[in-house]
Amino acid sequence: MIYVTDGSFEGILTAIYDAYENKEDPESIVSQGFYQVSLDSGVREISTDEEKYRRVYNAVIRKMSQQAIEIMYKAWLSEYTEIGTALYKYLKIGLKLGPKVLSYLQNPDVSLVNDLAGKVSFEAHRFLGILRFKKLASGLYYARIEPDNNIIMLVTEHFKNRFSDQPWMIHDAKRKVFALYDTNQVIFINEDIDIQTENDKDTVFEELWKNYFKAISIEDRKNPGLQKRFLPRRYWRNLTEMQ
Amino acid sequence: MHLLEKLQILANSAKYDVSCSSSGSGRSGKKGQVGNAAMAGICHSWTEDGRCISLLKVLFTNHCIYDCKYCVNRVTNDIKRASFTPDELSELTVEFYRRNYIEGLFLSSAVLKSPDHTMELIITTLKKLRYEHRFNGYIHVKSIPGADLSLIYQAGLLADRMSINIELPSVESLRLLAPQKDHQTIIKPMSFVSQQIRGANELTIYRKKQMFVPAGQTTQLIVGASRDSDLTILRLTQELYNRYKLKRVYYSAYVPVNNDKNLPSVNTSPPLLREHRIYQADWLLRFYGFSADELLDEEHPSFDTRIDPKCDWALRNLDKFPVEINRAPLETLLRVPGIGYKMAERIVRARRIAPLSYEDLKRMRVVLKRAKYFITCMGKYYGDVDIDSGNLYSILSEKTNQKTIEGQISMFE
Repeated sequence: MIYVTDGSFEGILTAIYDAYENKEDPESIVSQGFYQVSLDSGVREISTDEEKYRRVYNAVIRKMSQQAIEIMYKAWLSEYTEIGTALYKYLKIGLKLGPKVLSYLQNPDVSLVNDLAGKVSFEAHRFLGILRFKKLASGLYYARIEPDNNIIMLVTEHFKNRFSDQPWMIHDAKRKVFALYDTNQVIFINEDIDIQTENDKDTVFEELWKNYFKAISIEDRKNPGLQKRFLPRRYWRNLTEMQ
Repeated sequence: MHLLEKLQILANSAKYDVSCSSSGSGRSGKKGQVGNAAMAGICHSWTEDGRCISLLKVLFTNHCIYDCKYCVNRVTNDIKRASFTPDELSELTVEFYRRNYIEGLFLSSAVLKSPDHTMELIITTLKKLRYEHRFNGYIHVKSIPGADLSLIYQAGLLADRMSINIELPSVESLRLLAPQKDHQTIIKPMSFVSQQIRGANELTIYRKKQMFVPAGQTTQLIVGASRDSDLTILRLTQELYNRYKLKRVYYSAYVPVNNDKNLPSVNTSPPLLREHRIYQADWLLRFYGFSADELLDEEHPSFDTRIDPKCDWALRNLDKFPVEINRAPLETLLRVPGIGYKMAERIVRARRIAPLSYEDLKRMRVVLKRAKYFITCMGKYYGDVDIDSGNLYSILSEKTNQKTIEGQISMFE
């Protein structure tokens, strides 16, 4: 049996609930448009259900720990195409082992989810550093990002805490998602808006920063390979100092 | 002088200070203030030399009354000189911070007029940052050697981290290369700050924590300006960690900037590999339970360039290997070449659930290239040559290809 969800975290956990409820063991949990019709397995359409999602969510916390649900959620943010099946397998092992699942890294299903979550955490932490705000004429601080993983949800708390007195906007241009902070709360907007900032000059401090960036490097230790290892090229286009 | 030119001069003069870490302080944002501090530290960019930028690292001034022979800012050098004003520097810091360019400020300085005068300018800058700009982010400040202890105390109340650079690893080298500084002007403030930190921590038992250098104290040693051996450097490091409870000792491969009969000539390239080996050994002291005398001794006072210090130690102690991955205690796993702290912990946790095979280790992303010669999994040895065949040194030594070696230089491994 193949379970087909809307691809959301809620949808996948709903599917897992249904699998246990139906006493079925689906061979995969996939999202719409991401599966091939196979003649010998049936397909079940799953409709996302808040209540079912909650119950699985709480069961994971109760039986496996808070950390386990965080790992599952972060792994989902990786947008890995077979994440539904991966989370299902992880949860099956977790329900048997309890909190020990976190350490059971010799198991391929556990280590897969753990690695995905690790990759997402790593990139989220990286963006705490490499996200750049540009101060627009309106006073709004605007940042454009294009992360590999869907990390925007993981970084907003940090910026809210750090820059609590300045309005800011973080724009994931890849996923067309905005996080907007008005010095009070963060709201997320899921819309395809084209943001033009070319006319907004923030030249003075951008120029100072670029010059600082050049002056602080030691010529005798030049090592562009090492630089690229820490800061891969794909991130450069949204970095002020690389323009 | 235009601010842009000042910034170039004063960043350029500060670049040989390798410390840039913003770790060790965890502090939440406060209403009406800008900034917080992240316990683990955050890197914001990487320059062309592959080093991370976390803090805005500048000198307050590069005017100097001293004539230390190794230093680019020595009074007898004919270079462009500049000084910030406290207003300029505090504003620059906050504006950079608000755009998320930096974690905070790393403020060092040459010595303008006198150590006390310089320290006062630094304190004024920090006060403007903390009280006028309501800046709650990370500050690392240098103690100026020879400044009055009461000034150092004031700076410590405003900063997250303090450091005073020892630079030259022995009294003899100091006499030779920095004759105007004496050993005591460095050790006294270091010892004072370490006492104050301890005092502030004790006070927390009675009342709200008083902030005094909450991220601790660090220092820097120059590698390769003087004739001091790796052993001298490592013993000093160990003493600094044990006696003065330093958070970090940084090492800076000497980039020859001046001509002097007691210094390497200006054509010498910086000893990056030697610096790298000392960093590796430093990690072994701090996280892996090694002591300086296990790694080096009078007969072997320098690290082998072709092999890392842990591998080197293991090859001299082959009687302790191989160790069984399923039974060896954590302290023993930590001594296996190629197994880092994170992996050793993973192994200990995972084997409680089920015994580990060689394939399991691969899946757990343990790097086995070196480790396989020093372990057994469920009693079986997986090295392709025998542990006592005498071939391990040549198998494990790195090709002396400068590129690959430099590529490994990283403080965050």
